[in-house]
Amino acid sequence: MNTLDVPNDAGSRPATSAALAWLVQNRQSATLPVMFLLVFVIFSLQAPNFLTVDNLTNVARQSVYLLIVSLGQFIVIVNGGLDLSVGSTVSLTSVVGALVMAAVYAAFPEFQLLALLAGVGTAVAIGVGAGLVNGLGISVLRIPPFMMTLGMGSVLFGVTLLVSGGMPIYGLPPMLGEWFGFGRVLGFPIAAVVALVLVALVYVLMEWTRFGRQLYAAGGNAKAAALSGVNTVRVTIAAFTLASLLAALSGLLLTARLGTGEANVGTSLPLESIAACVISGVALAGGRGRTLAVLLGTLLIMLVQNGLNLMQVGAYAQTMATGAILIFAMAIARH
Amino acid sequence: MSIALQEPIAPAASVQAGPAVIGVREITRRYGRNVALAPVTLDFRAGEAHVLFGENGAGKSTLISLLAGANAPSGGEIVVRGKVARFGSVAEARAHGVRAVFQEFSLIPHQTVAENIILGEEPTNRFGLLAKQAAVEEAQALIDSLGFDLNPRSRVVSLTRGKQQMVEICKALRRPPELLILDEPTASLSEHDAQALLKLVLRLKAEGTAIIYVTHRIHEIPIVGDRVTVLRDGRHIDTVPADTCEDDLIGLMTGRQMAKIYPTPRADLGAVRLSLDAVTTVPRRGQVQVQDAGLEVRAGEIVGVAGLVGCGKGELAQACFGLHRLRSGTITVDGRPVKQGDPADAIRNGLWMTPSDRRHDGLSMGRSARENISLSSYSFGPLRGRWIKTDQENRLLTEISRLVDFEPAKLDDPVESLSGGNQQKVLLAKAMVQDISVYVFDEPTVGVDIGACLSIYNALSKLSERGAAILIASSNLPELMGLAHRIKVMSNGRFVAEFARDEYDEHKILEQFF
Repeated sequence: MNTLDVPNDAGSRPATSAALAWLVQNRQSATLPVMFLLVFVIFSLQAPNFLTVDNLTNVARQSVYLLIVSLGQFIVIVNGGLDLSVGSTVSLTSVVGALVMAAVYAAFPEFQLLALLAGVGTAVAIGVGAGLVNGLGISVLRIPPFMMTLGMGSVLFGVTLLVSGGMPIYGLPPMLGEWFGFGRVLGFPIAAVVALVLVALVYVLMEWTRFGRQLYAAGGNAKAAALSGVNTVRVTIAAFTLASLLAALSGLLLTARLGTGEANVGTSLPLESIAACVISGVALAGGRGRTLAVLLGTLLIMLVQNGLNLMQVGAYAQTMATGAILIFAMAIARH
Repeated sequence: MSIALQEPIAPAASVQAGPAVIGVREITRRYGRNVALAPVTLDFRAGEAHVLFGENGAGKSTLISLLAGANAPSGGEIVVRGKVARFGSVAEARAHGVRAVFQEFSLIPHQTVAENIILGEEPTNRFGLLAKQAAVEEAQALIDSLGFDLNPRSRVVSLTRGKQQMVEICKALRRPPELLILDEPTASLSEHDAQALLKLVLRLKAEGTAIIYVTHRIHEIPIVGDRVTVLRDGRHIDTVPADTCEDDLIGLMTGRQMAKIYPTPRADLGAVRLSLDAVTTVPRRGQVQVQDAGLEVRAGEIVGVAGLVGCGKGELAQACFGLHRLRSGTITVDGRPVKQGDPADAIRNGLWMTPSDRRHDGLSMGRSARENISLSSYSFGPLRGRWIKTDQENRLLTEISRLVDFEPAKLDDPVESLSGGNQQKVLLAKAMVQDISVYVFDEPTVGVDIGACLSIYNALSKLSERGAAILIASSNLPELMGLAHRIKVMSNGRFVAEFARDEYDEHKILEQFF
């Protein structure tokens, strides 16, 4: 497979430089696996507890929230957009969802399931609402996605702070945490199962449906898609709605895990979700990217954060690391 | 008409007759295992126009990119006036007197014509500030000396592709080069502009400039060329005098003899399917207003719309598809009016338009040929439905690939990796994945080699055999004369003449253009 075309003047080269040349030639597809390998080697050597089943399971569980948000970000980026409001959507869902669940639980303490359903309903309502506003603004009013979602992000975060007063929200039904926060089915964390089901759904949507084809086509060339009879307005609205919906679900799961509604849980998610997509080879210009790569990209970011944690590098430095990875991935994608 | 120098065919390697300005010796270019250009030895002489002729992917673009310094050779050398030179960059090639005008323009869209022409070497006043008036004057002088019709103060983005091409040529000629490379310079030009360009080439030649002229338009070869180098599959096939007959050139290019370029139009026509009655569009900025256009196309009929670039034939094609608002008049397909601004509705009613700019309007370049072709079939064709149908899709695409001579093995390649001819075939195949009764083609063979043209003409003929009504807007008059039952000539947004097939006469039709 990797037979090399060695220039004849160079003669036979040592195997290492041949391998390097192969890597350089295939850097687009090799980036992710190579970075994975590097991360594993470096952290295994530096952090003694990194390469243990417990720790890696832990990473998988922590990745769930970013993974779900990244899936939505992926859909939007493939469509040629960008969603900077996902973080605020997560925060808003956390706060409002917690308020609603706490209220229902307080009113009907013996019907915890009712409170849970109310929480899910709230998340869906917030997700669909925020997504529709984003999608309509971008496709009908023709506001660039960057500006529209930056603005929406600020609006939603403002609402979050207003509603919560900046304080955590307590009084959630214990069932929420027991199930979605810490629960397991067949030994697997429920939250992780939910995330994997969502990965499968998004994969099928993107690869096996007409909507997926239209999304990729419109992201690659909106005008060509429109002239082929694709309703690009509807596709864009659907993409942003899915992104916000996924963010809201992530917000609900995060609330279950934390046991409180928090206004600042989503702050780092816009950057991290974009980074996960870019590392996965999703083109920011739209029209390109694979669902399963996003899964790997997310895990990579979480592995780095976990490794740095184990090496007792502080949170501030970790934020720096995420940004640096994003820039590094971008640099590779560009060349 | 031919002004070829009539010199004997010189073996390409030997340097005789007229000083060789620049030559290549055993120059090659490989990409991985692919050989884009097998060793080629050629020389380019002062005052000679050397035509490079070949299908897409033959190696023409590779050869000129090496000479322009845009690409580095894998082997061999470039010789400038007898000395081996290394072109590490476009700037180095320029320093050796080589300038290239590529098909992909290097213009800054939102700057003016003058600003683009002087880019990089802007005149300044004694305070070191931009001398804007001087720049405009310099640009104007250059434009006048080249005989172009350009306003130095227009913004490039507002110009047609033909005018942009002129700006690009002005840029290249600001400092007269020793070797000028023109990459299909007339591909996007109207007949009128193309004539002006050919005259300019003749003049530069007379002034002693060496010229490399890459073209698909075989009839231009005896007009501008002195020698023709034919490339095929990255190999140098032969170098022959420019007055070699067309059949021999096509034979050299394709490696086979062409029986017949154009299929015979079918004789029996059916009912009227596309009908335009006194159509006047609402003008849009930078576009021509179609005025009082009347037109009928019958089932099985091919009607050509001829005219200069910018005469309104592109706008007419778009209007047929409902992309322009109408001030007055009606457009109907099988008796049903075409809704404005609703491609989905048009396709549902059996109307399809293939745009002229495949890169910007036609194809999702990063996606596969498969996804591009089948896209609309999932909404309007036999694949209709929410789920991808792999088997049915494979069968449909294999069948349609055969119709347009597209290699099914390339279906999963991204469109951007395909040659221009194959991209155009994909664009045509897109039109055939659902039932369509009226096709509107805007420049169906722009920038496509002759082999692909033949495939496209055959596919169009098959559509007409099946009873589709076909309207073709094209700047390529011989193509329309070969394909169409009737030709209507458009000028300034109006139809000014109509020719039936037995009245075709290239000169009489061209006269109506102006």
